[in-house]
Amino acid sequence: MTETIPNTAGVSITRQPADHLGGEILTVNFGPQHPSTHGVLRLIVDLDGEVIVSVKPVIGYLHTGIEKQMEALRYQQGVVVTDRHDYLSPPINNLAYALAIEKLMGVEVPERAQALRVIMSELTRISSHLVWLGTSALELGAMSVFMYCFRERDRVLEMNEEISGFRMHTSYIRPGGVMADLTPRFVDMLDVFIREMPSYIEEYEDLLTQNPIWKVRTQGIGKLSAEDAIRLGATGPMLRGSGVEWDLRKTLPYTGYEKYDFEMAVEQAGDCYARYLIRIRELKESVKILRQALDGLPGGPVNVDDRKFLPPPREELETSMEAVIHHFKLFTEGYSPPAGDVYVAVESGRGENGCYVVSDGTHKPRRVKFRSASFNNLQTLETMAVGHMIADLIAIIGTTDAVLGDVDR
Amino acid sequence: MKSRRKAVARGESAGDEWIAVSPAALRETLTELRDQQGFEALSFLSCVDHLAQPGSDDSNRFELIYELRSYQHRKVLRVRTFLAESEAVAPSVADIYPNANWDERETWDLFGIRFEGHPDLTRILMPDDWVGHPLRRDYPVGGEVVDFSEEHEMWETTPPQA
Repeated sequence: MTETIPNTAGVSITRQPADHLGGEILTVNFGPQHPSTHGVLRLIVDLDGEVIVSVKPVIGYLHTGIEKQMEALRYQQGVVVTDRHDYLSPPINNLAYALAIEKLMGVEVPERAQALRVIMSELTRISSHLVWLGTSALELGAMSVFMYCFRERDRVLEMNEEISGFRMHTSYIRPGGVMADLTPRFVDMLDVFIREMPSYIEEYEDLLTQNPIWKVRTQGIGKLSAEDAIRLGATGPMLRGSGVEWDLRKTLPYTGYEKYDFEMAVEQAGDCYARYLIRIRELKESVKILRQALDGLPGGPVNVDDRKFLPPPREELETSMEAVIHHFKLFTEGYSPPAGDVYVAVESGRGENGCYVVSDGTHKPRRVKFRSASFNNLQTLETMAVGHMIADLIAIIGTTDAVLGDVDR
Repeated sequence: MKSRRKAVARGESAGDEWIAVSPAALRETLTELRDQQGFEALSFLSCVDHLAQPGSDDSNRFELIYELRSYQHRKVLRVRTFLAESEAVAPSVADIYPNANWDERETWDLFGIRFEGHPDLTRILMPDDWVGHPLRRDYPVGGEVVDFSEEHEMWETTPPQA
């Protein structure tokens, strides 16, 4: 039984199921050191000819014990560690952690801090999608897309540097607010970026959306049904690409996302091309959110005014004994949330990025668990890949957008 | 409802709704929540070690957490169950929520909780030959020898013959 897949590019691919080849099964060890595994992912692939019979991911090569480290750090120290699990979207990791601590403490951050958090989240989503788009296209042979994407990503990193002092591991979003207010230069950079970004997205689309090679390599490849996506715990573009309307920013809004006008990108096809379209649309929607957030940026403080939670401003230390005491207490012991546990999930570029924190009433967490989107999305790999050619495996790994630091934590 | 009668406790923590069940009732509860109350997805499954915490002893040292999500009702629910130190065994739910497969392997790897009925309960994050379960509270922080470091040379190389 030969399956012919028609597509709009005018080329038809013919795919033969494994049992028709009837050859010997060849086991191939793919990775962990392989440029298209997005880090150090190892796959044990069983092949019948060129057709994949089974895929078994072997993970753990980038396990850094982040959850164990968190138990040894005070709550406000933990922020810098959260940067490092999903290293392509640090501010979103910070946000999940900060929201969890704030929910546990019953703290509400000011409106300006919320808007700044939205700005940083969306910038991060853009940079994360750009890395995905660039590397996935590169793996399928479209070299120039990679160059274009990294050109814009670097501008996001420059903005990160301007606002927080760091290009990648920003630690900008912290429990109680954000690290610092934005600078006039950041506003200018962001404004220019928002104005220019739509034309850049058009450039990527010109290169890929109607490109026959890109379509042949992605359409009908790596199909995931809505049922399988839910069953296997896929989130983010993987879930929306299969037609499930679920975007935490829309369905369970956090940090003021309900105030912004944007659309949830949903596609029905469930293949790599659908997920590509979703990510491109999310780039456009993120630019829309950035514009609204920058234009409607409320005034006021960027941190909660709570001396038991955040240190007093530096100048107060010289005049107020109480400020010195608070400063000393916060930097030696820290604060202790009431005993209990809390789970907060936010939408990162990859899907549901959650943080589960258990407090036992002391100044260090009893347990911090990062629910990572990549870990769960990677579990869909076998369902998507079986029956495809080995060359398509590259496209399918790319489409999961797994960050191995996020998988292994 | 039937599952409500089985719950040994229910409550709210920082606004998150939770129920606690006994390990024996876990599979039945999760099946019912999935099929009848629309909790079609498992966000994550993990463990908390309550070693030497006031109010907990050997009989309830490990707490398993199942965070369920309902896409249709836009809800989350946390299911907890407690395990004794001497009997850190829970039934596997990998057939109810297939993505529990890796989560259970991770929990076995890092906490040493055995999941009965799991198709392939092997280490997932740590190396296959690792000894111990690092996320337990009594597992020492630090103390391992770093490969290829000076310390490694000291410990792993046989001293030259005198």
